[in-house]
Amino acid sequence: MKKIGVSILSLMLVVVLMLTACGKSNEGNKNTGNTATNGGTEQEATKEPAAEKVTVTLAGWGASPEEQDLLNQTLKEFEAKYPNVKVNYEVIADQYMDVIKTRLIGGEGPDVFYLDAFEAPALIERNVLEPLDSYVTPEFDVADFEQPMVDAFKQDGVSYGFPKDFSTLAMFYNKKDFAEAGITAPPTTWDELKEAAVKLTKKEGDKTVRFGFGVAPELARQLFMIQAFGGKVADENGNAAFAAPDALKGLQLVTDMHNVDKSSGEPKEVGAGWGGEMFGQGKASIVFEGNWAIPFLESNYKDLDYGTAELPTVNGKQGTMAFTVAYVMNKESKKKEAAWQLISFLTGKEGMKTWTSKGFALPTRKSVSQELGYDKDELRSAIVAGASYATPWQAGSTLPTIMSNFNNQFVDTFMGNSNLEDAMKKAESVANKEIAAAK
Amino acid sequence: MTHVSSWRRKLKNNVTGYLFLLPTILVLGTFLFLPVFYSLYLSGHKVNLLGEVSYKWVGVNNFTRMAGDERAWIALKNTASFALFVVPLQTAFAILLAVILNAKLRYKNFFRIVFFMPTVTSSAVLSLIFMWIYNSNGLLNRVLEFIGLHGYNWLGDPAVAMKAIMLMNIWSTAPFFMVVFLAALQDIPDALYESAMLDGAGGWRRFISITLPLIKPATFFTVVMGIIGTFQLFDQSYIFSAGSGGPNNSTLTVALLIYQYAFKNLDFGYASALAVMLAAVIMIVTLIQRKLFAEEKLN
Repeated sequence: MKKIGVSILSLMLVVVLMLTACGKSNEGNKNTGNTATNGGTEQEATKEPAAEKVTVTLAGWGASPEEQDLLNQTLKEFEAKYPNVKVNYEVIADQYMDVIKTRLIGGEGPDVFYLDAFEAPALIERNVLEPLDSYVTPEFDVADFEQPMVDAFKQDGVSYGFPKDFSTLAMFYNKKDFAEAGITAPPTTWDELKEAAVKLTKKEGDKTVRFGFGVAPELARQLFMIQAFGGKVADENGNAAFAAPDALKGLQLVTDMHNVDKSSGEPKEVGAGWGGEMFGQGKASIVFEGNWAIPFLESNYKDLDYGTAELPTVNGKQGTMAFTVAYVMNKESKKKEAAWQLISFLTGKEGMKTWTSKGFALPTRKSVSQELGYDKDELRSAIVAGASYATPWQAGSTLPTIMSNFNNQFVDTFMGNSNLEDAMKKAESVANKEIAAAK
Repeated sequence: MTHVSSWRRKLKNNVTGYLFLLPTILVLGTFLFLPVFYSLYLSGHKVNLLGEVSYKWVGVNNFTRMAGDERAWIALKNTASFALFVVPLQTAFAILLAVILNAKLRYKNFFRIVFFMPTVTSSAVLSLIFMWIYNSNGLLNRVLEFIGLHGYNWLGDPAVAMKAIMLMNIWSTAPFFMVVFLAALQDIPDALYESAMLDGAGGWRRFISITLPLIKPATFFTVVMGIIGTFQLFDQSYIFSAGSGGPNNSTLTVALLIYQYAFKNLDFGYASALAVMLAAVIMIVTLIQRKLFAEEKLN
């Protein structure tokens, strides 16, 4: 393993070196041939209708085989409709963003690629994405999208991507456990959730075999709790602000359930990988999960009798998280017209309908959602309902630094090893130091 | 005339020699020396490679920044304590295994294969297997509970997460060094043991006075390689913590921190400075060891 350590390190250096070498030569080209390339793309654009075949590369991460089939089907429909464009779809199996970033640095980025809302601000700031507003036609109907999902890929009013699908968090509850504990309806406020979780927790000796509430103690899942009492993750300057008293109030509710009531636990504590698995195995009666958990539970835990509901209100306010991914265009792409055709088809009414038809992903267009009936679906309506008030998982370009420091300390305080206020103050000051140093 | 021709022959010889070396020089140059120099160059700059490429000379800023970087200190401390704990134990364990194999055992070949197995397995695979063993409901906790002890949340609890990686590392590296010791042990002439036995030395005495001093060169090699390897610990803590170095920075190592700064924050300048710092630390530690071992080299 040392050998591997050494080779990984040297490999990284080599990769960096080669990429920058490429990057530099690219720069040179840009300087000397700026006007030439501009002329070139114009020519290409005029040539395009003349039946010359253009190949567009599309990069994304892997998904389940069923989901992959659905995407392939959507791409086939696209190629049938635009016979002059061929799509070269690449799956990046692991460390997606690291690979994309290094490929962009080396000037070898794909024409179109998936981008998580969480990573969007940093990439937009670095000016590597193509602004899409000039391509949008009235038929594309931007107003049809769920507003928060489009906004996640906007900066200063300019759109850099359109969301392909999304999910919010909803409350998954085990109906059998609820009946046993004599709870008739899913909790609608945090106080009710607290009470229910205590009733649902089951112990054998001093070992908890089932937690009432399964929770993921990480920023991606807790951001809306920070906002519930008016707190913020980051301030206007991109500095961490999650240790403010208002932010702590929401977080306190989460840690208290684990450390005071002992009615909640994280998946690792019962040997599960994530909330969906914990729920499926019957080791948690309530979890907050998204649409991705539904196909997972269907294929792995067929007999589970469960329901979904909107998340309970905190401080009298509705809130949840929204996770969304967009198709974006590489600014360095040489086939922008064709790339836009692909994006507009995949996020358009037709393509999105095929892509979301089996319910692996939820449409970001209201019209498609209504057409496919997800707003009335027994399990998915709660997830769809959250879209209008959800907080997208995003908070500026410094979020990666803020997140790693938050998660680092929050897990510790969640496990009862440190006082919430001290831990968050520490995480905040370390994060801000790092942000200042990187400027 | 003869002088010129001999000069020519010499040149020709040299050129042929270098031609034979060329592939190695090219490979080493491209994949070893160039990156090293480029990394040194980067460590003095603030670099932006994504989007608008820019290099800005910042002098020693990247190095002074380390002093105020809490996570860099934690990473260094973790890495050092990892080395301090793992290197002696894995060396001792390797000697023990080698001595067992060197004794005239039955089914010696079978034991050789069994002992050596962990080294052949890829460390990424090992990490995944161990994650399954360390899981709260995993094998290790089941065994602990069976014998009446209570289990741990091995991967989620900052207090034990790094120890879990240490255990696994010792278990998987020791067999490699065992082979080194085995070779050294077999070089020791039996006559020495026989004469010691005639002088009335017991087994322990023979081990301390004959075996240990005679395998000292192998021990030096093992300790140096062990330190270098442990200081570069990356993949296990990466896999165990899903790249975060958590919980609460307990599995954060310098190599992992370099990776985070380079590829998560795209701060290649600072990451290179950290890499240079790591290289310097390893070099200094190795030099100190050479001093220590050399002083006792009397025979």
